[in-house]
Amino acid sequence: MTATIEPGAHPAALTAQGSLLRTLPGRAYVDPAFFAAEQDGIFDQMWICAVRSDDLSGPGRFKTVQISRESILLTRNRKGEVRGYFNVCRHRGARLCLEESGEVKRAFQCPYHAWTYDLDGKLIAAPNLTSMPDIDRVEYGLHHVAVREWLGYVWVCLAPQPPSFEATVQQDVIDRLGDLASIDAYDIEHLQPGRRIHYDVQANWKLIIENFMECYHCATIHPELTEVLPEFANGYAAQYFVGHGAEFGEEIEGFTVDGSAGLGKIPGIQEEQDRRYYAMTVRPQVFINLVPDHVIFHRLFPMAEDRTIVECDWLYLPDVVASGKDVSSSVELFDRVNRQDFDACERCQPSMSSSQYAEGGVLVPTEHHIRIFHDWVLDRVGDLG
Amino acid sequence: MLNVCPLSELPPGEALRVPCSPPIAVFRTEEGEVLAIDDTCTHQDASLADGWLEGCQVECPLHASRFDLRTGAVDAPPAKRPVRTHRVEVVDGMIQVELSLDTPNLPPGLAAGSGANA
Repeated sequence: MTATIEPGAHPAALTAQGSLLRTLPGRAYVDPAFFAAEQDGIFDQMWICAVRSDDLSGPGRFKTVQISRESILLTRNRKGEVRGYFNVCRHRGARLCLEESGEVKRAFQCPYHAWTYDLDGKLIAAPNLTSMPDIDRVEYGLHHVAVREWLGYVWVCLAPQPPSFEATVQQDVIDRLGDLASIDAYDIEHLQPGRRIHYDVQANWKLIIENFMECYHCATIHPELTEVLPEFANGYAAQYFVGHGAEFGEEIEGFTVDGSAGLGKIPGIQEEQDRRYYAMTVRPQVFINLVPDHVIFHRLFPMAEDRTIVECDWLYLPDVVASGKDVSSSVELFDRVNRQDFDACERCQPSMSSSQYAEGGVLVPTEHHIRIFHDWVLDRVGDLG
Repeated sequence: MLNVCPLSELPPGEALRVPCSPPIAVFRTEEGEVLAIDDTCTHQDASLADGWLEGCQVECPLHASRFDLRTGAVDAPPAKRPVRTHRVEVVDGMIQVELSLDTPNLPPGLAAGSGANA
């Protein structure tokens, strides 16, 4: 861990001119101090996609999620509006909700001294509270986090002054697709999860992002995907060109593990979106994959420098889910892709601390755009890393 | 008689804590009935006016014992003793309460005439 990273340094300066560009040095993937700086500079500052809106199906339904170093409690108030709180009792700091999900009837109550908060976070009761009239019940309510619903997901931001959602999250989608209308066409908000798979990946979150950004590996580790999307064999990532979706192979009927027919097409999609796969990364922790009959939506939760939890939803039209149609052949395709990718990331992780990787590796031309991501990380981390 | 407030200031489903000694809680049920009990739960110092009104019962916000607003009876532990009830009249649109002369069942640490009377 001797390599230092100059903030904002252009990796081109670190390599000879030619086909290859430098990656980040190994320590960016293994050093707890670098990971802590990423939490400070990225995950504590940006909009993070936390849960599916439907997971909070009504007032009092709740989920707890770890974002950066914090446990965040998400619920809906009486009016059905999403609310987010730091899951920390204002009295002596006990974790308010231990469960990952559940439902309260009217209030959240700390199991330690019974400080009790309503669904809007206000302190509504506590032992002896009426004899302490100087306690302001709003001031001593739960600390809020900013929340926003988009694409049927609840996004949260831990920062007291969140960045513009439009200029960050939505701009990443625009940069990839050209406009928001292209994603609105899939009506993701009203699709429903037909399957959700939880992956516990023993790799740094950046390895997962870098892997998703390039397709140089596709022909080697993704035989099924490359069968469905033959152009992936050329190694150019679908994410490289604005507005470009990878076309299904001629013989391919649907985005399924064996190329068999998929389900009913999402009604709003345009003709040019049919028979194509679009993928995008929404920094810092979301992948969205669009195909004509479903959407695959990944949320990454970095837990440590060498561990990332990935929640992947396969979203279908409501009638597909309601009628219990068999979605397994489409789920199996991307579940295999996920496992193939995460295996590759786990194969890289132990080498990140090798003496021989102290200065990092190299990016071939079909991977050069990953450098934009690296520059962005270095910029966000600043001299903290 | 204790003048509490005009009826119009206490909407159905709401409660008002009156900081007399010991404090009382006046409820207006969804059905429109106005009822008064001691405000302090008999188990631990908690304000029943902050509790959850359902029909003619209020649930303590801390440990969920429920008190009947008409009789003062408690349904289940941890509270074991009833609260006092107070007679209510609405005269010319004003809620008036006649305080009970019974000894209140205050929780440990709160003797009658002291404690939660801020």
